[in-house]
Parts: sequence; C-alpha cells; structure tokens
Amino acid sequence: MAKELTTQSYIEHHLTNLTCGQLKDGGWSCNPHDVENMTFWAFHVDSLFWSIFLGGLFLLLFKRAMPKGTAADSTPTGLQNFVEMSIEFVEDNVQSLFGSIKNTLIAPLALTVFVWILLMNLMDLIPVDFLPVLAGHVAYYFVGGPEHAWITSPESFYFKVVPTTDPNITLGMALAIFVLTIYYSISVKGIKAFAAELTLHPFGKWLMPVNFVLEMVNFIAKPISLGLRLFGNLYAGEMIFILIALMLFFSSTLIGFLGIGLHLVWALFHILIVALQAFIFMALTIAYLAMAHETEEH
Amino acid sequence: MNINATLLAQAVVMIVFVAICWKYIYPPILEIMQERQKKISDGLEAAKKADDSLEEAKLAFDKEMDQAKAEAAEILKKANVRATKIVGDASLKAEVEAEKIMASATTTIENDTNKAKEELRQQMSDIIIDTTQKILGDEISTSKHDDILKKAAEDL
Repeated sequence: MAKELTTQSYIEHHLTNLTCGQLKDGGWSCNPHDVENMTFWAFHVDSLFWSIFLGGLFLLLFKRAMPKGTAADSTPTGLQNFVEMSIEFVEDNVQSLFGSIKNTLIAPLALTVFVWILLMNLMDLIPVDFLPVLAGHVAYYFVGGPEHAWITSPESFYFKVVPTTDPNITLGMALAIFVLTIYYSISVKGIKAFAAELTLHPFGKWLMPVNFVLEMVNFIAKPISLGLRLFGNLYAGEMIFILIALMLFFSSTLIGFLGIGLHLVWALFHILIVALQAFIFMALTIAYLAMAHETEEH
Repeated sequence: MNINATLLAQAVVMIVFVAICWKYIYPPILEIMQERQKKISDGLEAAKKADDSLEEAKLAFDKEMDQAKAEAAEILKKANVRATKIVGDASLKAEVEAEKIMASATTTIENDTNKAKEELRQQMSDIIIDTTQKILGDEISTSKHDDILKKAAEDL
C-alpha cells in the first residue's frame, strides 16, 4: 500500500473520478495528480464508461427481448414481460402528462431516461469497494508498475462506479433535455411566440428586460434542478454507503457488525430512492417537453 | 465538484442512445404490443358475439319447444275427444244392434215354438185319430166325430 489508509483517504478515494484530460501545457494525462492542471477538456473515464456500458445494456436488453418476427399472438415470457411492463408504464406516464399532443420521440426518450438512470442508480447497490478494488487490480496488473508514475498500487487507481453520483453525468443528461426543450419550443410555437413567452410576462411589454431576466432564471433553473436533484440524492446515498463501510474497517467488532446491519437497512431503503429518482427524472423530462409543446398564452 | 467536458460527452451519448431507442428499439416493440392488444380485443368481441348468438339460439329453441309442446298437447286433446266419441258411437251402435238381434231372435224363437206346437198338435190329433180308428174300427169315422176331435185338439 502506497500510503496509509485513513478515513479521509478512504473517502477521498471513493469520491475521486478516474480522469483523463488535456493539461494546461497541451499534453494529455490520466494521472490523478495532474487533475488540478487540467483544462475543461477532461473526461471522467469511469463515469462515461459505466454510463455507456449501462446505456448499451439497456438497448441490448430491449432489442433482445423482442427479436424481429416475434409473433404478436405468442405468449410473452420473461424478459419480454419486463420490457412490455416498462413500456406500458412509460406510455401511461406520457399519456397522462402529454395528453393529445402527438410526438413519437417523447415515449422512447422517457423510456431511455428511466431505464438508463435506473440501471446507473442500481450500481449504487453494489458494495462500495467491490468494483473499484477489482478495477484497481486489473489496471495494476495490465498497465501498472514503476514506469507509470500514477498506478503505483491497485489502491492508487480511482474508479467510481455510480455514474449518477457524478454531476457531469446528471447535468449532461439535463443539458440534452434542455436542448430538446428549446428545439421543440421553437419548432412547435415558432421563434416569435417562444421569445414572447420569455419576455412579455409577468410585467407586460414595457418591462421586457426585467421579464427576460426573471423568465431566464425560471427557464435555466429547470435543467439545473433536474440534474442536481438526481446527483444530490445519489451522491448522498453513496456517501452514506461509504460511511457505513468505514464502520467495518476502522472500529471494534461490535460496530463492525452494526455496520453490516446498517448497510442492509440502508441498501433496502436505497432501492426506493434508486427507483424514485429514476421515475422523477423521467416524469420531469416528460413534463418539461410537454411545456415546450404548450402553445396557449398564459 | 468539478464540471468538465464529461458533461458534454454525456449529453452527446444521451442523444445518441435516445435516437437509437427512438429509431430502432421502441417502434417494433410498441407495434407488437398494439397488434396483440388489437387481437385480444377482437377476440373478446368475437367471444361476446358468440355468447349473444348462443343466448339468441337458446331463446329461439325455448320458443320452438314451447310451441311444439303446446301443439302436442292440442293434438293429444283432440285425439282424446275423438276417441271418446268413437267409443261412445260404437257402444251405442252395438247396443242397438244387440237389441235388434235379440228382438229378431225372440221372434224367430216364438215363431219356431208356435210352428212346433202346431205341428205337434197336428201330429197328436193324427195319432189319436189313427189310434182311435184302430181301436174302434170303423165305428167312428172321421167325418162323424170331427167336432169331438176338433175339441179334443183344442184342449190339447
């Protein structure tokens, strides 16, 4: 072990992403010690890896569940039932929020958002040390050694496995939805009506700048709150898992056993948060896009 | 919390995933589901129709059955009446016939009896005359004692 394991280093280790990015002097590096010197063009490789992996898993699962030529009158089994249940759930929600507005993108978008976030959140239920330690050993085995200054031991390899505890991921998704919202606002209402919506109330046309500032805050707060809500909930959950895990490492046997019990209780409770946050993100996505389709003046 | 290009990368990844889902994943599944939904609702409707027609057939059957029963009862009643009448007529006819036969039989018997009596009387008187003639010889002639003989025959 390169450095002594302390409470602080343990927590830090779990909250640090594996980052690869452009350094200020122009070179590229994945060394955690260089993170401070990186420009904006840095990527959290671990978050992106799990995000793409789980998104791909989602697409694969739903593709595999109903291969081409699945007969409509055959009895659905196993995975197909799960897939149909998800789709019905999403369709119901879209129906209740969107009503009569016809837009074929909304339901697939909501489905992707829901299942993807659910899968990413579920990574939180895997014991906190399991995947990071595994990844650390794999990385050390393949690319570690003295010639790589930063992988000096399996423990020096950072690997966060829950993408939704990374604000970049949640805000990135919120950003994509924000872009879609603007696109549909303009294409459905027209640029004029959209601009009017942002500038002509609450105070009428003589106070346009004030209106614009107020509406802009309102407008931008939506995606930011959308992203931060998911991040905050999952980050807090992850944090508690880390703290409970600490009880096993640094205290007496009694507290260790208490920690196991607490871990179980929190994991059970966290299942609720995992599903709830995925649902909330989906519901708000649908709601924001429904707002973008509303043409009536208010 | 450090915001960096991961955010943009994730936004792009998301748009790609949503597009794939939108184009290739969602529509075929939804199509199959809707097709099955239609099949199920069609099937239910057909079942309901079949139920209805069964009910109708049952009603028609009951009606026909009732009618047939009523007809049968009517026929039975008519047959009974007819039979009673036939029996009545027949017995009446038979009685009359019997009486007739009886009467004619009685007459025949009476006639025969009278005839027999007459014959007997005749034979008796002949026998008596014969016998008397044989006993008395010619003393008594038939002509002389005709009155007496006639009286005797009447007494017999």
